[in-house]
Amino acid sequence: MSFEGKLALVTGSGRGIGRAIALKLASQGADIIVNFFRRRETAEQTAKEIQALGVKAEVIRANVGDPAKVDEIFDTIGNKFGHLDILINNAASGVGRPVLDIDVKAWEWTMDINARACLLCAQGAAKLMEGRGGKIVSLSSLGSFLVWPTYAIVGVSKAALEALTRYLAIELAPRGICVNAVAASFVETEALKFYFDEGLNEDNLPVTPVGRMVTTEDVANVVAFLCSEEAFMIRGQTIIVDGGFSVSSPLFSLKKKD
Amino acid sequence: MNVEEQIREIVAKITHVDKSIITRGSTFKEIKADSLDVVQALVAVEETFGIEIPDEEAQKFQNFGDFVSYVENRVAQEEKV
Repeated sequence: MSFEGKLALVTGSGRGIGRAIALKLASQGADIIVNFFRRRETAEQTAKEIQALGVKAEVIRANVGDPAKVDEIFDTIGNKFGHLDILINNAASGVGRPVLDIDVKAWEWTMDINARACLLCAQGAAKLMEGRGGKIVSLSSLGSFLVWPTYAIVGVSKAALEALTRYLAIELAPRGICVNAVAASFVETEALKFYFDEGLNEDNLPVTPVGRMVTTEDVANVVAFLCSEEAFMIRGQTIIVDGGFSVSSPLFSLKKKD
Repeated sequence: MNVEEQIREIVAKITHVDKSIITRGSTFKEIKADSLDVVQALVAVEETFGIEIPDEEAQKFQNFGDFVSYVENRVAQEEKV
């Protein structure tokens, strides 16, 4: 699997899963555009680590929830590089609330960043992939079909992302663009801590049947595979990376009688 | 309108509180600003003044006054440049 000579934009790649994906693609030879919104320090650090791998890294600040800023990202890439090979829609945000407490502001904020941005970025990317094909992978979550406390808005936004992935996959197939999504279960990142106010400890650590949590590298490996030519015939799918979490019955977690 | 007044207007609009209750000593909790309100206020202030306020800095703000002082300093620095 080599991405030598390819240019990849990874949204929200200053930290967490996006950072792991950026480093994975860079380790296989891709030049990376690191996008961030709120934390410049971590984005600059990711860029440094990418450059240390011997490839180029460019940092672009933008809130992908703002359509004008999305336009700026693709204008910058177009002017500077003239093309794009890989788009990873990873940037995400959300407001943790029970459904009855969701207001329009929280809904729009989350949907704009987690769902609409995937459409706008795909539109921008498709233009820069014209005549050369490309890969688009968007990051979903098991919360698109499993119900977690206070996760409603994010879950709905991820369900929209997965539906959009199917439409993009079909409509962009004639242009030689492969589109897929990856849904991970609990991954130990700062975002996860946000949903567990009391912090993660041995009692509430969501393990998988494999016996450990999913890591950012586990997710990055699958994303990289979907960006490779080996995955050419996978289209419009959401690949689940959860160590078997979503298919295991709760019976497996019951304690056995001695 | 000075920097403080402009930020007060922005914060009041986002949190739907009367701007007269926002003093330099007001905490975000007292202004009834949740984490989304704070991010939106930061973004609006950044766009108004053409500056970038990284989260690393914003997390240090204990109250409205800290927010205002930070922006005042940044605006003054920009003017020098």
